[in-house]
Amino acid sequence: MEAIVKNVERTTELLAVSQTETVQRWDKQTLDRAFQWTQYCQHVYTRFHANPTVRDILEKQLQVTNESLRTTFHGYTDITFSDLSQCQHLLLVGLLNNAAVPSSVVKLLFDTITVGGKYKDATGHCIELIEVKSACKVLSAIYLKRSTSFPGPDADVLGMTLMEMLDILLSPAAGGSKVGLAGKLLDNLLQTCGENENFSGVVAAALLSRKNNKTAAATTKMASEGVSFHFILDWLQQHHSLLHNMCSTLPIGLLMDLHQQSVRFRVTYGDMLKQWGSQLEYDVGEGEWVQMDTTDGVSFKTLSDHYRSLLGACPSTKEDVERELTELKVADGDFDVRGLSVWGDLLSEIGQL
Amino acid sequence: MHTIVYCSIFLMWEPTEHFLSSQNVLCQLATEEEDSATHMLVKHMGLPPKEYNVKVLRKLVWLLVEEVGESCSGLADPNQRCSCDSVLAASVACVPLVTCPETAPLIGALLQRPVTCDKAALSQDFLDAVSSAYSRKCVSLEAQAVVSLWCHNLASLEGAVMSLLDSVLSNPACIPHNLENTITHSLLPKACSQHGSIFLIVNDIFRSMLVQVEGNQTLLSLIHTFTICFLRELAALQPQECVSLKAFFPHTPQSLLAPLLTHPSEMAQEAWPEHLAWITASLQRLTEEEEEGNRGQCGVFEAWFLLVQCADWLEVANQLLVSARPQDCGPLLWLLTFYHHPTNRGHQRTQQLVAAREVWDHLRSLFLLSAPPLPADRLQSLAELMSAVPQQPSLDSLLVVSLLGNFAVFSHNPLSGAREIVRMVVQRSGLVREAVCVLNMVELRLNRERASSSLTDRVTLRTRALRGTLTHMAQHDTHTHGTT
Repeated sequence: MEAIVKNVERTTELLAVSQTETVQRWDKQTLDRAFQWTQYCQHVYTRFHANPTVRDILEKQLQVTNESLRTTFHGYTDITFSDLSQCQHLLLVGLLNNAAVPSSVVKLLFDTITVGGKYKDATGHCIELIEVKSACKVLSAIYLKRSTSFPGPDADVLGMTLMEMLDILLSPAAGGSKVGLAGKLLDNLLQTCGENENFSGVVAAALLSRKNNKTAAATTKMASEGVSFHFILDWLQQHHSLLHNMCSTLPIGLLMDLHQQSVRFRVTYGDMLKQWGSQLEYDVGEGEWVQMDTTDGVSFKTLSDHYRSLLGACPSTKEDVERELTELKVADGDFDVRGLSVWGDLLSEIGQL
Repeated sequence: MHTIVYCSIFLMWEPTEHFLSSQNVLCQLATEEEDSATHMLVKHMGLPPKEYNVKVLRKLVWLLVEEVGESCSGLADPNQRCSCDSVLAASVACVPLVTCPETAPLIGALLQRPVTCDKAALSQDFLDAVSSAYSRKCVSLEAQAVVSLWCHNLASLEGAVMSLLDSVLSNPACIPHNLENTITHSLLPKACSQHGSIFLIVNDIFRSMLVQVEGNQTLLSLIHTFTICFLRELAALQPQECVSLKAFFPHTPQSLLAPLLTHPSEMAQEAWPEHLAWITASLQRLTEEEEEGNRGQCGVFEAWFLLVQCADWLEVANQLLVSARPQDCGPLLWLLTFYHHPTNRGHQRTQQLVAAREVWDHLRSLFLLSAPPLPADRLQSLAELMSAVPQQPSLDSLLVVSLLGNFAVFSHNPLSGAREIVRMVVQRSGLVREAVCVLNMVELRLNRERASSSLTDRVTLRTRALRGTLTHMAQHDTHTHGTT
């Protein structure tokens, strides 16, 4: 443990140094070693980010290191524990923006590598990064369904990563002690990007990722497969506005996928729809159902779109939906006059296909 | 949008002296983050940016592979736009990406997409880029993708054939034992078995090479081994994919096709002499007809080319000559002479046959002797027959070397005696390399017939022992020559 703490400290110092003029004396060996150390720190992060005790120790150490480095280096930015996961990238950015780096060293980062040594040394690190990013840009430009298919590749990757992280935190091996951490993780992420579409997409992608992995799921994963999924749904219930955001902004087809996949989601979704329905009021002047509160509901048209999709999902769902809406209509008095019961009007709306 | 342009240009760029001036651009490309919200998410999830980008790229490639895989398959409504023109756009976009390892699945999918309508063509730039990257070994494509590439682009097929010829023929140390491996790895036999047109093109190239480099033992052996690999791939195809052999050999006289394509191991050894007599008779008829002006030149050349492709029968003839009786050797010697001298230039065949008979007589008497000393005069005349120009042995010498090798391997006199004869004759004529090649070919053929042949063990040991002697001789020779 001591060794790890020391190494992290050293690497932090290294990062600070890499942004000063000292780099003038760097050569290929120094560069390679620097990259190896940052890689090491990234491993440390992966290994211990879910371990509160170790994480704590490292965070404390980093605070100390940051303080001393702040006094030594002008314009120093603190390194936090979560920064450790991006260590290599930070080194790269620092070097590229440092005019004092010898050009021979910078060139190394852009040399094309032919064989082997990819992860062991720094050669070609930069060029691979640019190649991959450029390829992403070029290819996403030709991906026709980009606008219509959801989630996009980026949300998908983030969603899968999120699920993997939750799996680790919530796995039986962790013994339930990390549930708090899992909740905190989701809270943090929500806070980071605000309640915008980005995070809804990621959460939806996370929930959907189980569908794609179903065939590949090993039996050991099966247990946690349900756990992480349900955990997210639970958490969503407590963050109602995000749930609302998700259900109202995501493409309905996606919601149908989730609906098909999980009974639990069906219930959540069904409740959401009913809530939206109950927030509509009939405006006699316009002859239309309107939202009482535009921030927390959807329009009549949107709601009927949702119900219509449900009808088309599968025969048993069709029966259930019709039955439910009929029951609600009956509870409202079972009149066939427009404007008296939103449920009755929905039924007649979706009945006309 | 400008970033996309930057990126596309960058991907085709090679680091040069202009590097320093573009450093700023490159730094920007490496470190910029267009979407800060996503960037924050990535950071908070503890994903290193590079890993994130690689995963996104893989996912994108996967999605595109699915999209490309949807063909238009004859839409009912002709006014409806099919998605095939997106294929062209995709292939153009992929031009700078051919060497990026993550995009290999997409490139493979584009190449293998069945061409269902006019709009589904691939960009020529794309095909050229893939072809060039493949020949430089900068891209790893799966076998079927390579075959599709060759179907789309003739130049890349020709390039692949020439590259195979280059690698085999430039190896001066005679027929390599891994010739079959090299040929199979080139994927050409597989492509030939799936597409008759590819086989015809490859053979055309072989034919023109044969005409250019007459009597090249390595080339002859390459063509022979190639055909073996091809026939093997053909046999492995599913029955419904099988095309009749005629389609693969359209120019060959039909009467020879079946007999020559039947492998010696597919019939009993006792039937070999009769089979060979039949083949020889057909060939003789052909040559006579041609000389009388009844057919075009092509008939004989095509027949000879098929014999080159199925040279196992020639090896069989060589082997049979070791134990043949004088009254039976005629057709076999004719076959050998025809193989080494297909064109009867100046009507020399009769003389060549006489010379061949003489050689055979010499060899018989040499190898039937039970004890030394070996008659010097016979050895001398044999060596002379093999001509004194080692660099370009005339076909006569190759014929003699083959016979010599086979006699040494298949005769029953003691190994020491055989070894001595071979050593002396080869030394005087200087054809060490060629002799080693002959022994290699014998051993390879025996390996192929392992299951059916009864005399393999004894013979294989002899072959290896003889080759050892010759190799030792060759090394000693080069050493001596090197020091002088």
